[in-house]
Amino acid sequence: MSKEQALESAEHAGSGVRGAASPEATAERTITLELFRYHPETDSEPRFQSYEVPYNEDWVVLDAINWIKDHVDGTVTHRWSCRMGVCGSCGMMVNGEPVLTCAAFLKSYFPFAVRVEPLVNFPVERDLVVSMDGFMEKLEAVKPYMIRDDVNDTSGGEFRQSPAELAKYKQFSMCINCMLCYAACPVVGHEEEFLGPAALALGHRYNKDSRDQGFAERMDVMLSDEAMWGCTFVGECSVVCPKHVDPAGAIQQAKAMGAQEYFKRFVMPKGAGA
Amino acid sequence: MSGSDGRGGGRRARHSGEAFWWALFSAGGVMAALFVPAFVVVTGFLLPAGDPSVAAARAEAFGQAVGCWPVKIALLGVIALSLFHCAHRIRHTLMDFGLRRYSGLLKVPCYGGALAASLWAAWVLWGIAP
Repeated sequence: MSKEQALESAEHAGSGVRGAASPEATAERTITLELFRYHPETDSEPRFQSYEVPYNEDWVVLDAINWIKDHVDGTVTHRWSCRMGVCGSCGMMVNGEPVLTCAAFLKSYFPFAVRVEPLVNFPVERDLVVSMDGFMEKLEAVKPYMIRDDVNDTSGGEFRQSPAELAKYKQFSMCINCMLCYAACPVVGHEEEFLGPAALALGHRYNKDSRDQGFAERMDVMLSDEAMWGCTFVGECSVVCPKHVDPAGAIQQAKAMGAQEYFKRFVMPKGAGA
Repeated sequence: MSGSDGRGGGRRARHSGEAFWWALFSAGGVMAALFVPAFVVVTGFLLPAGDPSVAAARAEAFGQAVGCWPVKIALLGVIALSLFHCAHRIRHTLMDFGLRRYSGLLKVPCYGGALAASLWAAWVLWGIAP
């Protein structure tokens, strides 16, 4: 698409784009987006396709991709929902960094081209959309939910918790499953068995919850060979996390808990720790 | 109430041996990060600093201290744990370089090497006269 076409389209841009389409604001400058394109049914290999997009300081990369899809090329496929950093749907590689595209402003990259790719370490379904199946399986494996025998027994009232007990896990409960940490983690890329930062952090979140009784069930999975121990504390997961969950810290804490459990077997009789 | 202290159902989680190696790695990390640099500063810079005769007296006092059994044991702990820390990191680095399928086999040279070096350190410490 030429610059002139882009500017002409910008003048007719609809309301689906944030801060969109004041011709005065967009009439002078454009920015190039290079989008990863791959349709497994028809393409033998991926390619990049460049688009000229009207530059607007208020736009984020997601706005630009939406603009392309709405006004230039409806075949571009990407995943998004809330546009406000809550749903975790729009994670992509922008210039090689895993980010939420709803939080990556064009002005951070202007005037240079912005290269957008699907999250690495995941199979590509189509264009910028990755398959979440493997991630969901790992997430499910750590049982990220409350486990206790009397979970449906409300006769004693609610399961109360002190602010100090809440503080032990609250940070880890902020995960939005955006999978940026999986794209940033080098271990995820080459260790199939590794559960990955988000799943481990969420497993740890429930292990630290004073109301939960599923520690042993969860740790059966987390403590197996490379499921958690594969982490070499690179720490990139915590660097890219948009919600400041600190999965790397959660994994180190979980490792310490796992090691304590390991040595307790030798000094305490079976079941004494319950 | 259960949770982080309750562990749930009175049952222990199933473990792989990785917890053991990680515990050594973790303890060795503390040793390597805190005590080894302190030893380097003390033995490499502080002891030899200043007047040569005073430095020689200091070195002799230090040598006598190393001859005490509690100090020998503490030194062996620092040395051995640091070696296992190193061995664990090397093993995982080798796995990252493509030897992941041999992760079990790599334990032999890595941890075996750390054990051998630790035994050698113990033998040397044993031989230091009080």
